[in-house]
Amino acid sequence: MADDEMAHDERDERMDAGDMKRKGRGHRDATEWADRYGGARFKELDPNAKPGPTASVEGWVVFITGINEEAQEEDIHEAFAEFGEVKNIYMNLDRQTGFVKGYALVEYKNHKEAQTAINEMNGKELLTQTIQVDWAFKKPQRRR
Amino acid sequence: MADDFYLRYYVGHKGKFGHEFLEFEFNKDGRLRYANNSNYKNDEIITREVYVGQSVIQELKRIVEDSEILKEDDNNWPAPDRVGRQELEVIQGGQHISFTCTKLGSVLQVQNSKDPDGLRIFYYLVQDIKCFVFSLISAHFKIQPIQK
Repeated sequence: MADDEMAHDERDERMDAGDMKRKGRGHRDATEWADRYGGARFKELDPNAKPGPTASVEGWVVFITGINEEAQEEDIHEAFAEFGEVKNIYMNLDRQTGFVKGYALVEYKNHKEAQTAINEMNGKELLTQTIQVDWAFKKPQRRR
Repeated sequence: MADDFYLRYYVGHKGKFGHEFLEFEFNKDGRLRYANNSNYKNDEIITREVYVGQSVIQELKRIVEDSEILKEDDNNWPAPDRVGRQELEVIQGGQHISFTCTKLGSVLQVQNSKDPDGLRIFYYLVQDIKCFVFSLISAHFKIQPIQK
């Protein structure tokens, strides 16, 4: 079964679930996934990747949550450069308030550096808040 | 059912370059699908797929929950039209919302609408989740999403 057909079936199944509280015009005026994608496939970097952490194009990315809303990118860099060279940081702001939204992505070159950062920083305190650190990209054990 | 999760966002319009749109969806297993179709200069559709970890899904759920979008309704929002169409579909906390709206140009348009409080929540949430997805896609694939 092609990926796009699978997605479509999942959607139909959800629409049939009756015990859900529904709201919105989109339920009455739904657009068709198939119209947009036809037979187009959604490309993974490595379709044969095994369950577990997934490599990105240029390295391994960790995902941090629980970040203090007043944190600066330098605070993240300082805390995470200890485990390897930080290639990139993505830290977004709340579009309404301008404060840090609370999450960040940090990219390392090697798996080992990222794994060490996760082991060392998960559950640690940063700027008075406990942060969580885990892999950003990870395939689940069971594929349906 | 209560832990079921799904999120999909679409924005697009049909114009002289055909059907141009951006769309992404997350399911509860962490599968993120992203598509960007711009026919300008005969660009081909970009379709990408990657699995994100459960901490990413949890953070997305937090952002949706904190926004309180699930308490809103799209009845009084400007309907999709020639300018464009936005769709936000979320399954979370036993609720299934599927909201539609035209493309919103500015916060002024939000303020002048019939439901400024609800539409403001939608307006900012959409920006926040677009940022969220663009960072994930940029970090993993090193492609720059086209902002329309």
